[in-house]
Amino acid sequence: MITATNITKKFGRITAVSSVSFELADGASLALWGSNGAGKTTLIRCILGVCRFQGRASIGGIDVRRRGRHARALVGYVPQELAFHDDARLASAMAFFAGLRRATPATAARSLAAVGLTGHERKRVRDLSGGMKQRLALAIALLSDPPLIVLDEPTSNLDAAGRGEVVHTLRALKQAGKTLIFASHRPDEVISLADRVLVLERGRVERDTTPAELWPTEKPVQVIRLHLAMAREEDAAEALRRAGHAVHLNGDGLCVAVARDRKAEPISALALHRIEVRDIEVLDDVRFPEVQP
Amino acid sequence: MTALTATPITVHAAPARSFFGGVAAFARREFRDAIASRWFLLYTIAFTVLAVGVSFLSLSGVGSHGFAGFGRTAAGLLNLIMLVVPLMALTAGAGAIAGERERGTLIYLLAQPVSRTQVILGKYAGLATALVCSLCIGFGVSAGVLAWRTGGVGIAAYAMLVAFTALLALAMLSVGVLISVVSRRSAVATGIALFVWLALVFVSDLGLMASSILFRLRVQEIFGLAILNPMQSFKMAVIVNMNASLDVLGPVGAYASFTLGRALPWILAATVAAWAVLPLALATILFARRNSP
Amino acid sequence: MRVFRGIILLVCASACAASPPQTTGVQRRPAAAVAAMIDAAQPGETIRIPPGVYEGNLVIRKPVTIEGGGAAVFDGLGRGTVVEITVPGVTIRGCTVRASGDDVTGESAAIRVLTGPVIIESNRVEDALFGIDLREAPDSVIRDNFVRCKPLDPERRGDGVRLWWSHGCLIEGNTVHESRDMVFWYSENLTIRHNTVSSSRYGLHFMYSHDTILSHNTLSGNSVGIYLMYSNRIALVDNCMLNNRGASGYGLGLKDCDDIAIRGNAILANRVGVYVDNSPSSVGSTGVFESNMIAFNEIGLLATPNTHSNVFVANAFVENEEPATTHGRGQLTNNTFARDGVGNYWSDYAGLDLDSDGIGDSAFEPRSLFGSMLAGEPNLRLFVHTPAQRAIEFTARALPELRPVPMLIDPAPLAEPPTIASEIAETPRSPAPMAALAAGLLLSAAGTALAIGRERRALPIPEGTSA
Repeated sequence: MITATNITKKFGRITAVSSVSFELADGASLALWGSNGAGKTTLIRCILGVCRFQGRASIGGIDVRRRGRHARALVGYVPQELAFHDDARLASAMAFFAGLRRATPATAARSLAAVGLTGHERKRVRDLSGGMKQRLALAIALLSDPPLIVLDEPTSNLDAAGRGEVVHTLRALKQAGKTLIFASHRPDEVISLADRVLVLERGRVERDTTPAELWPTEKPVQVIRLHLAMAREEDAAEALRRAGHAVHLNGDGLCVAVARDRKAEPISALALHRIEVRDIEVLDDVRFPEVQP
Repeated sequence: MTALTATPITVHAAPARSFFGGVAAFARREFRDAIASRWFLLYTIAFTVLAVGVSFLSLSGVGSHGFAGFGRTAAGLLNLIMLVVPLMALTAGAGAIAGERERGTLIYLLAQPVSRTQVILGKYAGLATALVCSLCIGFGVSAGVLAWRTGGVGIAAYAMLVAFTALLALAMLSVGVLISVVSRRSAVATGIALFVWLALVFVSDLGLMASSILFRLRVQEIFGLAILNPMQSFKMAVIVNMNASLDVLGPVGAYASFTLGRALPWILAATVAAWAVLPLALATILFARRNSP
Repeated sequence: MRVFRGIILLVCASACAASPPQTTGVQRRPAAAVAAMIDAAQPGETIRIPPGVYEGNLVIRKPVTIEGGGAAVFDGLGRGTVVEITVPGVTIRGCTVRASGDDVTGESAAIRVLTGPVIIESNRVEDALFGIDLREAPDSVIRDNFVRCKPLDPERRGDGVRLWWSHGCLIEGNTVHESRDMVFWYSENLTIRHNTVSSSRYGLHFMYSHDTILSHNTLSGNSVGIYLMYSNRIALVDNCMLNNRGASGYGLGLKDCDDIAIRGNAILANRVGVYVDNSPSSVGSTGVFESNMIAFNEIGLLATPNTHSNVFVANAFVENEEPATTHGRGQLTNNTFARDGVGNYWSDYAGLDLDSDGIGDSAFEPRSLFGSMLAGEPNLRLFVHTPAQRAIEFTARALPELRPVPMLIDPAPLAEPPTIASEIAETPRSPAPMAALAAGLLLSAAGTALAIGRERRALPIPEGTSA
């Protein structure tokens, strides 16, 4: 889908992107990872052919510099924050982009409906919340049903719920066979969406790798060991199993597998049964033995 | 959001719109934005009020005679047009690209399946239509006043005045767009536009007057230098259209009428048209070659 | 001002439509048929010419009245002079005379009169090199004729009406269109009134012709409206000179004329309203301009620098681009702009009349910096009608040390424009609907564009998605 060869972009004496090369197959998804100023946004702009650069880039075999207009017809672009005339109403913005992307008004309405913005057509862009703006950007990106979606930190201005929605949508798109390129600051997004990660540092590709390799310790599930105030392990294990946790009794406390961001849940579950937890231990590098409760 | 997964994904997206289709889409949006904007309203009201005022005043003070020459009205309108219309067009053009760049909306537009040439030509066409609309309202109302107050206006002469004014507006808009392309910020673009306005309206004429005295320029040299200024070309074109010769402009005008004869109005119109075409062409080239959005 | 030429054409076209020459289905006969009728008539008899076209040249050698009744056409077939009169006492009335030769040296004419008095009345002259040509035909009457010359380049046309050594004639109610001049050579004591000359070179042109009154004539769209040369003691009363903007572009031109009285004329929208070239030229003579309306001209009054001894009183100088100036350097201060405490009305006058006596409290002394620059640098006239010109005038007003000497001094400028006697040619009213049409077209064009622009394409809501 994408072939990038030696993309180099300089702003005066500063080199923002330095001979970046990669290829991306149809249906694959690539995350761009790096600190602010590492060149993620610039690289995306180069790939889109929005700014001039040295090197070559093509989308679906179409050179973005020579035939950028036709190359971009294969791309839906979602910026960090939708920047469009604030005074424009949602319907007219949609109609404009539908015109540019040769989508019918019916398609535009379907796109809006798909991101849950039906009924907001009379609202002005400035009155939309951050999440709604990103959904509008998605709706616009998907107008002509392009095979490639390019996103530049699409969730960085959103709250947790908004992020969840966007990630959910992108996952659905990935499953539907779309190719994705996105820049992100959040490992969980990268882990849940990307097949590959380009790690950028000062414009250079430091590593071309996978999320699993990049975060070998980062597993979605962690094991914690609970030390109880009194010897009621059996009751506690029963209670936790009923609450849906995988439990392992190994004689030294109670080992529970929990989602990485839900480590306190077993404690509150036990508190409901008036079982007091004295201490907890997070067990890194401990693999949970396969036990059936 | 779930509706997305139900959308059948096609392998190939809709191809980019035809070149002129894209230009038209941008033109339509720019026109809509323009007529909904404050500057359009302000300029239209200002121009209409001034044009009506000039028409009205030029018809009064005739006492009981009931006669007034359209020539007098035209002379008054000429002064007004040469002050106001370039100001309108230059500032409107100056905001075209620089404003979008400053608000960050330009990058989003460029990420769509459009070329930079389409963007700039579309914006020019939209603004030009809005400007011509604004002029038509002003001239229309003032023609109404002339119709009501007197009979001394011929539709052909008036139509030519409107046409030449529209051409002047297109020329100045073209210069404004060029300014907009090379300016990073919209305030800078407006500043340069005002400076150019001052230069074309006052400085160049005063400078040419001074040099014609100091360097004893010959009439052909004065004429050649004068028509470089689109404002002078416009003025001469209007006068030659109403008087069939430029004798009212003294020896230089008589020289021009004598040597160029019937070609004179065409040469003058071509000069103004060149001002409409060349800066826009240069703006298009510079915009396409710009390093960043 | 093509506009006005257009209007005049329109008027003429409608005049033509009112009395069209009957050419289709009428008899064509040689002009000799008329000659035979004249031969058969008694002197002094009235001959009614039957309707028809009489082809060839006709010479009238007997004092008779030729009555065409509007339907007799004399067609010269493009050769020589069509009708020639060689005896006094002839009247030609109600005929159409057309298609003279175009031989300039032979001066072919539609009607040539070699003696006087004769009466030429209510005829139509078309396609003629010279129209009505009087040579030594004193005391003749030329009345209510319409003359239009051959469609040649202006410099190759002949004169619509020409008088040569013909004193005491009455020229009245004629309309001349697209000719060279209506010209008067060496002819004195004429009465010239209610004529209209348009789209010609000089409307009324006087050469060495003295003691004449011109009144109520309308001259429009010519190179010069009335041009008096080397002619003395002429009164111009209640004429209208309108839109004379051709090569010279004067409403009224005076060259070496003594004791001219210009009274009650309307001189409007010409390039130069009044051009005075060395008039009066003799010691002790004067020129008097009284109660004229001089308005909307590029230059109201233009004079050669040596011009002196003219008196301007109770004229209205209204909205001229330049009210008064000289050709080259110099001022108009050797002329008088007030008599018995009454000056002229100047629309450029900025003074006040606090004592309400109708006379401004301060003298009118126009000092245009740009105007004085023009005197020394005529090339700068290119920059009239520009904001730069306004800027220069504004600067001169702000900085008194830059102000030039006044072009003229009117010690008693009028506070209100005086009433002018001339009934100005009725302003053509027909263009008013045209202006309304222009207004309508422009506004509806703008309206349509705005309506299309504002229309928002609503997105249809697909079924089932709202659920």
